Amino acid sequence: MEMFTNEAIDINALPKYEEIALKKPHQDYWKIICLNLAICFLFLGLIAGLLVFFVAKITPYSTLIFSSYLALLIIFFFLFWASFKKRGYAIRAKDVIYKDGIIAETTTIVPLNRIQHIELNEGFFSRIFKLGSLQIFTAGGVSGHLKIMGIPIEEAKNIRDLILNKLDTIDTTDTENVI
Amino acid sequence: MNSDFSKPQRQSASGIIVIAAHSVFKILKATIIPIMFAFFKSTGSKFYLLIGILALIIIAIIISYLWYRRFTFFLDKEKQEFIVNKGILNRDQVIIQLDKIQQVNINQNLLQKLIGVYGLKIDTAGASGEEVNIYAIDENAAYNLKDHLLNRAMVDSNRTSSNDASLVQTAEKPVLKVSAFTLLKVGLTSNYGQSLTLMFVFFLYTIQEARHIMDLFELDQDVVKSSVLGLATLFSLAIIVIVLLFTLLAINLVRTFYKYFDLQISKHTHSLLLSSGLIAKKNTLINPDKVQVTKYSQNYFQKKLNLLNMSLKQAQFGQNKTGEELQGNTLEIVGCNAAERDELLKMILQHVPVKGKSFIPNWRFLNLPTFFKLILPVVIFLIVAINIAEVRAYIGLALVYLILGFLMILISFRRHRIAVNQDFIIKTSGIWDVTTEIIQPNKIQAITASQYPWHKSVDVGHLSLHTAAGQIRFKYGNYSEIKQLVNYWLYQVECGNKNWM
Repeated sequence: MEMFTNEAIDINALPKYEEIALKKPHQDYWKIICLNLAICFLFLGLIAGLLVFFVAKITPYSTLIFSSYLALLIIFFFLFWASFKKRGYAIRAKDVIYKDGIIAETTTIVPLNRIQHIELNEGFFSRIFKLGSLQIFTAGGVSGHLKIMGIPIEEAKNIRDLILNKLDTIDTTDTENVI
Repeated sequence: MNSDFSKPQRQSASGIIVIAAHSVFKILKATIIPIMFAFFKSTGSKFYLLIGILALIIIAIIISYLWYRRFTFFLDKEKQEFIVNKGILNRDQVIIQLDKIQQVNINQNLLQKLIGVYGLKIDTAGASGEEVNIYAIDENAAYNLKDHLLNRAMVDSNRTSSNDASLVQTAEKPVLKVSAFTLLKVGLTSNYGQSLTLMFVFFLYTIQEARHIMDLFELDQDVVKSSVLGLATLFSLAIIVIVLLFTLLAINLVRTFYKYFDLQISKHTHSLLLSSGLIAKKNTLINPDKVQVTKYSQNYFQKKLNLLNMSLKQAQFGQNKTGEELQGNTLEIVGCNAAERDELLKMILQHVPVKGKSFIPNWRFLNLPTFFKLILPVVIFLIVAINIAEVRAYIGLALVYLILGFLMILISFRRHRIAVNQDFIIKTSGIWDVTTEIIQPNKIQAITASQYPWHKSVDVGHLSLHTAAGQIRFKYGNYSEIKQLVNYWLYQVECGNKNWM
């Protein structure tokens, strides 16, 4: 390949991010998504039900409201299921890869030496299922942030420590270079 | 004033006047309407009102004095930090690491010019509110401090070279000097959009204020309205349009001259000094290594005149990116020619970027804009036109719109490309203003590649490079090539030990 002539490396020999086997979020995370959705729709249903029962003007449209409610429920579950299936992450020696998307498939890669800080979050339901989500922040603004959800908490802590250790070594080598 | 700033020191004593004027101005700006109201409407003696205003001013002066007394700054050489103490009732301390400083602004507004002091502002890459604003400092101290702030790291690392050289530093011959004639050309050919919004905002403001004033003087709104309308019919629409166009150009010119009059760029030991301004002189010092994205743009007229507008974008953190903040971190350099642009690029990027292998988008790039910007509006227009007789006469316009619109989309498709070589990524885009954005691979923070399922079989996908100064996108490219590029850039970022700041 004659793409980058003045560089002695073979571009095809470089490690390929697209061929890395990605880890899926834990199956229990799907349960959390379902729980969250169920709670949302319960509220929505409650409001809709109350309206239908107590506001006389709306009562004739109850079938319409009910069918659109059902359609929304199915669409949302389907979309979340599709997005859940698409998610995947991998930690390489020098970067973090995260894939997600509902329709489009988006892969974001953050090199470890560009990470500013990391956050490990545990929600209420996540704690019950012993899961956590990792947030990785770069200087690239909101669009350059990664949020990996549904990682088993032990693994998440390991990843966090691993990345923090790597950050430390990068920092020390940097300062050594300067001195 | 000691010259190495190692001990805490205050601003120039005359700073009190500047700070006081600043706060009085702020108070007046906020209360001008009620004061006017009270002045014209109140039946009581105006004496008490004057006393009240006077009291306000005195309080402002006292607060300013206290503020001045409490505001000290110094350089901590051991820790490489610049420390500011401030606050009247509560004590605040701002600590800035010297290597985090992005730019130092030395400004002078009219009042500061009269008193003979300068204002100094330090911008860091940190979140908002972490900047330091010194209102009054004399010229020598300002430039001394600037040298200390920007060159400290460098001076330390090569102590062998005499430190004095950087202190007595005489400005070199300017690299770029924009003449008044060039500014005239710039004013006539660029920033129409900005001036238009400015005009619109001004228009709205005038209407709002006019209402206040009418209320105040109990003018009859209907009389005013009818006389304005009479004026409008007096002139035909065409004349009004021409007048508006001329006002737009005039505003553009005034703005350009006010902001960029006597624009000069000179190179100092480790920084670039940009200075400009008609009444309020603005000096900005930046570290070329900290520029994240270098951008220049040119439209058809400007191409004929050999004129370019450049902008240097610096890192922008902060969670809520308001337009104002973004502006502050972008430095605009207007009216340079191709040779001067290359000279500037050399200073910022070490050498003039050469375009490497060029990547072009797939024709599918045309689909979405054609549908949403052409077909959909035209269909809606046609439906309206068929149903409403008055609109039917204008049905021919739809065709004109279609042709013009498609041409524009086609142009944007032809211009949208990305060129890559070992050291640079160069993206061009635009329809009327052709923009070129240049980044170095080590400024990349994260990379995103994405693809729609229906593009899988035709191997088309999108790319987005996240930098600390915004994203660079390349749409509808060959996905295999994009993946290859991503791998290549990752290799460069991860194996190179070049820092991004």
